[in-house]
Amino acid sequence: MVTAAGTAFLPRERLDALLDLLREGGRTVIGPTVRDGMPVLGEIATVADLPAGWRDEQSPGRYRLSDGHGDRVFDIVNGQMSWKQFTFPPRQKVGEMNRFAVDGSISFQPSAPDPPRLAFLGVRACELAALGIHDRVLAGGTFVDEDYRARRDAALVVAVQCTRSASGCFCTSMGTGPEVRTGHDLVLTELDDGFVVDAGSPAGERLLARLPGRLATPGEEAAASAAVAATRAAIGDPVATDGLRDRLMDQLDSPRWGQVADRCLACTNCTMVCPTCFCTSTSISSDLGGAVNVTERGWDSCFNPGFARVAGGNFRPKREDRYRQWLTHKFATWIDQFGTSGCVGCGRCVTWCPVGIDVREELAAIAPPALPAERPFIRPAAATPGRFEITTLRASHPETPDTATLTLVPTEPVLLAGLPGQFVMVDMPGFPAFPISVSRYAHDHLLLTVRGAGPATAALLNTPVGGQVGLRGPLGTGWPIDRALGRDVVIVAGGIGLAPLRPVVDALLADRGRFGKILLAYGARTPADRLFTGELTAWTDRGVEVLQIVDRSGPGWAGRVGVVTNLLDHRDFASRPTVAFVCGPERMMQATTSVLRDAGVSRERLFVSLERHMQCGIGLCGHCQMGPFFVCRDGPVFTLTELGALFTREGV
Amino acid sequence: MTAPGSLAARLGSTWFGSGLSIHARERLAALAELREVEPGAVLLREGADTERFGVLLRGLLALRVGVAGRGTATLMTVEPGDIFGWSAAVPPYRATSTVVALEASQVLLLESGALRDLLRDDEQLMLALYPRLLESVSRRLTATRTQLLDLYARDREYEPW
Amino acid sequence: MVATRLPRVGVVKLASCDGCQLTLLDLEDELLAIGQRFDIVEFPEATSRRSMGPYDVLLVEGSVSTPEQAEQIVDLRARTKRLVTIGACATAGGIQALRNWSNEPEWRASVYPRPEEVESLATSTPIAEHVTVDAELRGCPIDPHQLLELLTALRIGRRPQLPDEAVCAECKRLGRICVLVAGGTACLGPVTQVGCGALCPAYLRGCYACFGPRDAANTNSLAGWLARDRTEAEVDRLFAGFTGYAPAFREASRRAVEAMQPAARRRRTKGKAT
Repeated sequence: MVTAAGTAFLPRERLDALLDLLREGGRTVIGPTVRDGMPVLGEIATVADLPAGWRDEQSPGRYRLSDGHGDRVFDIVNGQMSWKQFTFPPRQKVGEMNRFAVDGSISFQPSAPDPPRLAFLGVRACELAALGIHDRVLAGGTFVDEDYRARRDAALVVAVQCTRSASGCFCTSMGTGPEVRTGHDLVLTELDDGFVVDAGSPAGERLLARLPGRLATPGEEAAASAAVAATRAAIGDPVATDGLRDRLMDQLDSPRWGQVADRCLACTNCTMVCPTCFCTSTSISSDLGGAVNVTERGWDSCFNPGFARVAGGNFRPKREDRYRQWLTHKFATWIDQFGTSGCVGCGRCVTWCPVGIDVREELAAIAPPALPAERPFIRPAAATPGRFEITTLRASHPETPDTATLTLVPTEPVLLAGLPGQFVMVDMPGFPAFPISVSRYAHDHLLLTVRGAGPATAALLNTPVGGQVGLRGPLGTGWPIDRALGRDVVIVAGGIGLAPLRPVVDALLADRGRFGKILLAYGARTPADRLFTGELTAWTDRGVEVLQIVDRSGPGWAGRVGVVTNLLDHRDFASRPTVAFVCGPERMMQATTSVLRDAGVSRERLFVSLERHMQCGIGLCGHCQMGPFFVCRDGPVFTLTELGALFTREGV
Repeated sequence: MTAPGSLAARLGSTWFGSGLSIHARERLAALAELREVEPGAVLLREGADTERFGVLLRGLLALRVGVAGRGTATLMTVEPGDIFGWSAAVPPYRATSTVVALEASQVLLLESGALRDLLRDDEQLMLALYPRLLESVSRRLTATRTQLLDLYARDREYEPW
Repeated sequence: MVATRLPRVGVVKLASCDGCQLTLLDLEDELLAIGQRFDIVEFPEATSRRSMGPYDVLLVEGSVSTPEQAEQIVDLRARTKRLVTIGACATAGGIQALRNWSNEPEWRASVYPRPEEVESLATSTPIAEHVTVDAELRGCPIDPHQLLELLTALRIGRRPQLPDEAVCAECKRLGRICVLVAGGTACLGPVTQVGCGALCPAYLRGCYACFGPRDAANTNSLAGWLARDRTEAEVDRLFAGFTGYAPAFREASRRAVEAMQPAARRRRTKGKAT
């Protein structure tokens, strides 16, 4: 036995004692092993399961194992699988959404975390860093992935310091290794005849105190340090990280993106093997009648063609857009989001790319937006996927041939307390969740104005009066009404874009005296496509200058024809401080903001609301990313200053 | 009739006039006539010689184009500050649309023959007028393209059911 | 949401082996529920009931391989609201499309004792080259889960979840180690649409693309990488398989053939009609 305070030495032949200790309390030990000649992380039932004498040889697009290299068990630097396979499983049930045949009522049952008790044996320094990153991404923010946190809390972590390196390694550049510093319970350094062992946590110290063996000699401790130092020297410093974030973001137009896209297969391997990539998608298994719907979350990838698609098109249609999204997120915008780089330098994306694309080369060949401002925060009801507030449809009012306004009555008061411009995620059994802006908050109900753009919205529109709809929210940032106090306000809406702006008009009119002149410029496709036609007149009577224009004239229309910018481009807003709120298709917002800037509205006072593919609505699923932003969480409302060069840029 | 001096000032207060030199505003104002028009008044006819060039001071004008068998369609409306009859200064000097007042409107009118004579004599005026004229026409071209994009249309291309 | 009548479903075949239709019968646990929710009015493999339509949904197996089938598919299209092609033959032309690269009369003469009695077209082509297709299920044969998802989605009215991602994503989620990177095995997984559950790599075999190419598959890059330690003829053979007539694979195969030595190229294109 050794004292708890000291560094221990565990002779190679007593490794079984460590396994026994780790297995106490019914834990399963997971570690590196070789199955069918392939490197995997799997159950280590006995010492014989550890890959004694096996080594890996890696190069871009190539991985080979060979055995017969002595007795060492931790000479495989790493393999395809990372620990996220166990902490963030590839597929995970989120919950069940059911509809009862008798009365049509609906119910939601989120899954409760039920983590296995595991001990991870052989976690490398880069992988500890990756777990630390996931702790921040998935469990360190306002919203927490409860399943992940439970799995992390239930696991013991036994780290191993690297005494070999692979050709893909660059932990030294990313500042994550090869030395193990934090995040472990125990840490081993393998020498020829045994292991130098240290504790990194109170749990680790308790284990160490019970480990057979003796205190390490100064010679053994020195040998361990020297072995890790030799690994550091062998890796060198392959990636220049100083100022990498800004250098990368300045190169959104580099021709290299197109060149790497010629090689890239968009096969998603780099993201799947990456120990920090965390994007997911939700799928639904329904029974044939749609009564029982099991929702499951699975690893997805920003390289998949559908990842950023919405009903109206794809925000990242080209392979080069998707490669750029991945690389800039990993090395640049991740820093904005989470305070560290998203890369730990494990080299898996280099080795497991089927065509050998080396991220280090791409970074070297390819070579700054502000953080979002503070916004008021309302803690939403049922924020996380799998939870829902059930609301009842009281009425449905047709607005245009394909759009209707639904009156939904919630029991949860916070749904009525949202900000203008916030949205809710709509959940109906059998359909993927989708975001809809709130078009009015009232004392006991909220209004959603919905256009039938796809099957899910069509199903929402077909919900019978008295039927139930699941909502999560209110989510996202809203239009900052306080920025308009004492100023003139220009509201520009295109098409359905008037819906998220109606609560702005409501808020301004509720306190009319505190704002200057109010101009609402509304463009629609045809006269019949205009929303809220009755109210437009009422607003005029209450001191709003309402101008309407249509792309195409129609029967009975004697008003303006043309695009919405025609209403603004002969005007001057420079003489009085003016705040502008703009919502519509991106091309329309681009034209409108350009005219408003020419007319004297500053970029800090120009607000737009963006549409992106959203699944979770709380910044966890990763679909809606745009540069440093999760549009659902940091937006959808942004100033032009925040968006900078990202605004209306194709493919970001 | 209003004095030319005050007409030059009125012109200068419009979007179109604010982009012209003082010299240009004065030369144009000297030829211009201030006119009130009733709703329904036709100021130009598509395909006919462009008899006048004008700046809208107040009200609303429609630019209409006829298609045989389909009647006449309003393609765009003109806001105060903008112009109509730009073809008075561009060969072949024929109106590209019919201009109709939708509301009681106030316009500054210039007779097109006199305008062209003036431009031939006054290079300075020409240098001031044409860029602004082109700016207005170019805005209309951009707006028309945006209309063609049909931005608010529902996507027709989503996957089956 | 209460349907007044059940959707009328037909299952028909053109040039094919019947394997995909059988997948429907293999859904043993669900068959009863399917029967309760759909009116199967035409399914020669399972029932002697016959119908001339109209159908709400028609599942079509097989490629267009004879002049008769070319007419038949136009007629079928007119009698159904939605047409869903099932399997590699219907979606890509199938293994029988290999004849598209060859001299069809010669082939026919070498296969049939009395070739003059066989009436067939010079090419075997996917249904979508003839009529509009509303959805497709890939694979040889199709995957029963995808078929069930299609039927479920149809019943609920949602879009079926048929992911367009590479086989690689499924391998990684299942924790299967890459046979291409770690084994040096030729594998088309990176350019092939998933749906099979990454079956072949589970047995340490390379994917041979029976689900056909993904949207905008970068076959050019993969073929170039594979050709580093293989001959062009081997690369050509990889792509010219069960879904070899799908445009992305056809193109990869064409490039490989172009890069071949003249003698090998002559052997490959021997007997080709043009």
